[in-house]
Amino acid sequence: MTHEPQVRVHVPGVLRAYSQGAAELAITAASVRAALEQLERDHPSLYRNVCDETGTVRRHVNLFVNTSHIRDREGLDTALSTGDVVIILPAISGG
Amino acid sequence: MAERVVLSIGTKKAPSSPKRRSRAASSIFAGRTDGGRGLQHVDRHAGKPSVYASSCNAFFGMKILKSTDMGKTFKETKAAPAFPKDDGRALANIWSIEPGPGKKELWCGVEPAALFRSDNGGDSWEMVPGISNHEHARQWQPGNGGLCMHTIVRDGEPRAPRHLDRRSLPERGRRRHVPARRIRASAPASRRIRIPSSASACTRSSRHEDAPGRLYMQNHGGWANWDGPGGPRPDIGVLRSDDPRQDLAVDRQGAAVRLRLPDRRASARPRHGLRACRSSR
Repeated sequence: MTHEPQVRVHVPGVLRAYSQGAAELAITAASVRAALEQLERDHPSLYRNVCDETGTVRRHVNLFVNTSHIRDREGLDTALSTGDVVIILPAISGG
Repeated sequence: MAERVVLSIGTKKAPSSPKRRSRAASSIFAGRTDGGRGLQHVDRHAGKPSVYASSCNAFFGMKILKSTDMGKTFKETKAAPAFPKDDGRALANIWSIEPGPGKKELWCGVEPAALFRSDNGGDSWEMVPGISNHEHARQWQPGNGGLCMHTIVRDGEPRAPRHLDRRSLPERGRRRHVPARRIRASAPASRRIRIPSSASACTRSSRHEDAPGRLYMQNHGGWANWDGPGGPRPDIGVLRSDDPRQDLAVDRQGAAVRLRLPDRRASARPRHGLRACRSSR
């Protein structure tokens, strides 16, 4: 029997209305993709803020695993280990 | 009895609903900010005192907002239109919201051009395949503003939108299929219209309340040198679908609008078809 890594998903303040106010969600997932799939099942409205209908992470939303942006690792296939924190971080822009 | 006019305006900063109770009264802005999210379209449900707005958030996607206090506050509906997961298209914008005749019925035109319907006040949506999956849908070419379903004009019959305008650029001088004159299976599926070789993109169309067969179309220009049927037409103004001589023109000297208002007898005239536009710039 294999044990899926237990990780935490950090929800930014602007999206906490979609997670019943929770700042962190505890999930079990072996990859970022699997984490998003679980997010889609358990918190569909939160998921829609992060990904579009095709499953693509929205352009101005960044996903980090601990301190690494997933684009600098294996993207959605980035592996997760127990204790990892997946951080949803909206881009900061202005002008 | 005082006439009540509610004009809803969507902006990047806030939805506003200036109200005018009579000609003598000044407009009152009843809207307030919505967290800085751009609002593409605002409409008021005729059956209930609800105002619906589409919020286009560049970060987190598109939302449908509902207000029950005439625009003072807005709250997200439980769901927004979304393409089926295996469709391959992703919502880029919500361009238009049209209340339906049903108590909680809403229609929604989106980008990329597709139509959605809700029968519970926007808490769930289903894509209308007749137009959204039209055989030509994947070949439609966008104009400058994107491939959007910017206008929904109902014909007054329950659950039967009649004209659905897409902002797209047809090939020069060619006839174009305008799908979904009526999208019900029992009604004609399409209608041919003539595309003038010199025209412009439009962003809104509207129907004359007393002449359902007549449409008005916002015109961005490009008709001043038109030498086809009807002669030159307003460079900037409003085009009429059934009689180009009755177009509405904007005065170049200012914001004044010369209105050559149509008489109601015109509604009995034979229709010459909807003229769609193409940018000449």
